[in-house]
Amino acid sequence: MQPAGSSWVTLLGDSERRGGTTGARNTAPKELIWKVTLGDAIRSSPVLADGLLLVTCRDGHLYALDARTGRERWSYAVPAAAHSTPSVSGDLVLFGCDDGAVHAVNRTSGELRWKAQSEGAVWTSPSIHRGTAYFGTDGGVLNAVDILNGRTRWSRRFEGRIHSSAYATDDRVYFGCSDGGVYALEPGSGADAWRYGTGEGVTASPAVKDGLVLVGSEDHVFYALDAGSGAVRWRCQTGLGIASSAAVHAGKVFFGGKDGHVYALAVADGREIWKSPPVRQITAAPVAGASLVCVQAFGATQAYDLNTGAKLWTASLGGSLGSTPIITDDTVYLATFPGVVYALR
Amino acid sequence: MNRRTFVYNTALGTLHAGLFGIPLPASQQTPSSVRLQIDIQAPDVPLSKLAMPGLFPGRVIQASHAGALLNGRIQQPAVGQMLDQGMRALTGESSARDAWAKFIEPSDIVALKVNPSGTPTTTTSIPLMREVIRALNAVGVPSRNIIVFDRNSNQMEVLGYHNLLPVGVRVVGLDGEWVTGGRKRTGYDPNVFAEMNCFGERETRSYMGSVVSEATKIVNLPCLKEHNASGVTGCLKNLAYGCFNNVARTHRFPKTYTDPAIAVLCTAAPLRAKSVLHIMDGIRAVYHGGPFAWNPDFVWDAKTLLIGTDPVAVDRIELEIVEQKRRDVGAPSLWDRNPQSIGSAADTDRSAQKNRFYREPAHIRTASELGLGRWELEQIEHRKLQIG
Repeated sequence: MQPAGSSWVTLLGDSERRGGTTGARNTAPKELIWKVTLGDAIRSSPVLADGLLLVTCRDGHLYALDARTGRERWSYAVPAAAHSTPSVSGDLVLFGCDDGAVHAVNRTSGELRWKAQSEGAVWTSPSIHRGTAYFGTDGGVLNAVDILNGRTRWSRRFEGRIHSSAYATDDRVYFGCSDGGVYALEPGSGADAWRYGTGEGVTASPAVKDGLVLVGSEDHVFYALDAGSGAVRWRCQTGLGIASSAAVHAGKVFFGGKDGHVYALAVADGREIWKSPPVRQITAAPVAGASLVCVQAFGATQAYDLNTGAKLWTASLGGSLGSTPIITDDTVYLATFPGVVYALR
Repeated sequence: MNRRTFVYNTALGTLHAGLFGIPLPASQQTPSSVRLQIDIQAPDVPLSKLAMPGLFPGRVIQASHAGALLNGRIQQPAVGQMLDQGMRALTGESSARDAWAKFIEPSDIVALKVNPSGTPTTTTSIPLMREVIRALNAVGVPSRNIIVFDRNSNQMEVLGYHNLLPVGVRVVGLDGEWVTGGRKRTGYDPNVFAEMNCFGERETRSYMGSVVSEATKIVNLPCLKEHNASGVTGCLKNLAYGCFNNVARTHRFPKTYTDPAIAVLCTAAPLRAKSVLHIMDGIRAVYHGGPFAWNPDFVWDAKTLLIGTDPVAVDRIELEIVEQKRRDVGAPSLWDRNPQSIGSAADTDRSAQKNRFYREPAHIRTASELGLGRWELEQIEHRKLQIG
């Protein structure tokens, strides 16, 4: 169980992309604790660190809200819309902006510490590993910057847009690209380790588990690639493209499809454990907990039993597209496309 | 700025155009209860020979390819062949590049008006957009001067338009703001609007998207699909209701004013002058439940593109295709006026026998009366190409 005030510091909770929660909530949230309406749509997912809920908004702000009350502690303005899910590392909050930069802001004061400029809007969530932040851009550039000062360590240009947030390990940096490739680069130099070409763009963010890179493609296939070589270990055909990032938990990988299904597959061999009845298309990443899988799907938050896929509850709170909820022991935090952030009990 | 007035007699189905501030002749006046007046304020833009109905009035090329879909996935190379051969057939040019060069210059800022309202299978497809962008690049238009736009950024985001198009192409939702050349633009132009009061609504203006002002050419990429109010959502509706905001107010169940609103909005000079080409995505098509078509039972693999410069003619052929499909499955005509056919949204999603509105596909004929193209089938040259 995650106590209140616990951390959910980046996309899908932590850099392992486990889907974030160990909470065992089996019932729908029944009570509104607070809600805050921001200045424009929210395209990103909120993150949580030490009682601070951090959310970017298309009105060009990063908002830091008190997780218990919803009151704004501070906000930081950027020159353009923000679509990037923030990442917290130490006392810094990093997030991308449509101005082509990643901004690093002090978590307590909201003051700018540094800014790393690149080319093209940054919709990805910065992935932080051993003092380096990795982020891709709409202009097809993958950047590695020093988290202390934002200086570029290396950058690489690719043929397509990068909307897939990188997954960094000691050995490799993995990400997808709209040119159809899943890439593995050397983290120190950015040199190619391998590339696997899928049949369409890869906009979902990969997860890595048990030596497998797990990622869906717009070519209607979910792939498990050998993390060392890029060879296909298994694949799963779906009905339409996949934009939802995968969450990995308890030997299973979960993702949503544009065909409206939530899929639960065995990490080891890709066997389908369950597949939900279809809702409208799903582009958000699911979160997984001790007993449930939860996903925002076109106007409603759906929760399924982790092991069987049976529907547990639905919460209709308005449109939400790419945002993933945060589920702690006592609270569910949701951000919606109309720009409303909810805290529910 | 120029302001023009259109008065529609809902009882007679007639439309009269006058000059703003000048009363219509008594013979054209009708009781206010059956009149819809639409005032269009827009800048004077000279109408070149490219303006709707464009270089080839009445010509519609239908390019089909049996391999356009394979295992549920659109095959981009096949779409490219359909587009290239269709453009050559439309223009008579021997190369696709020369065909495109009849409409587009390298210095143009080209806006692609897409239709993202629906599921991934019932919206302008990304392979078609990529092929159009490739053709524009081949003419010399750099990707940074290509804008993909619609009113709804959320719909475009869900479909992946922001993620999957070539680097440099701008994807703009008119409901947001964007920066171009260091200048922040808002979605709608406050000086260009249509004023009408359909049902006593509070906000009676519909503003035109700023992208229309920014672009020098518009390539229209609608979908081949039925629409629960206007009969079909084709070239004309994709332009009118995708470039002006606050248009859903023209429907109030079961009545819709899509006729004449769609046709009148398309006469706004910037839209008429700049919309030089219409390429209708019929790779998958919809015969019922549109525009969103949540029920996949109403979607069929038509594997075709309709290409033309005359939006009326293209929409007329689309109307005939959808009507034929509805006849094939035993669904009522789009012109049906039987009150028994009116049903709820849930009924409409379940059954092709039901609909929420009395559909008004006559907006296509109205557009013809306003000079936007040819309505009569005898005046339309419908050429079919089977490619592969």
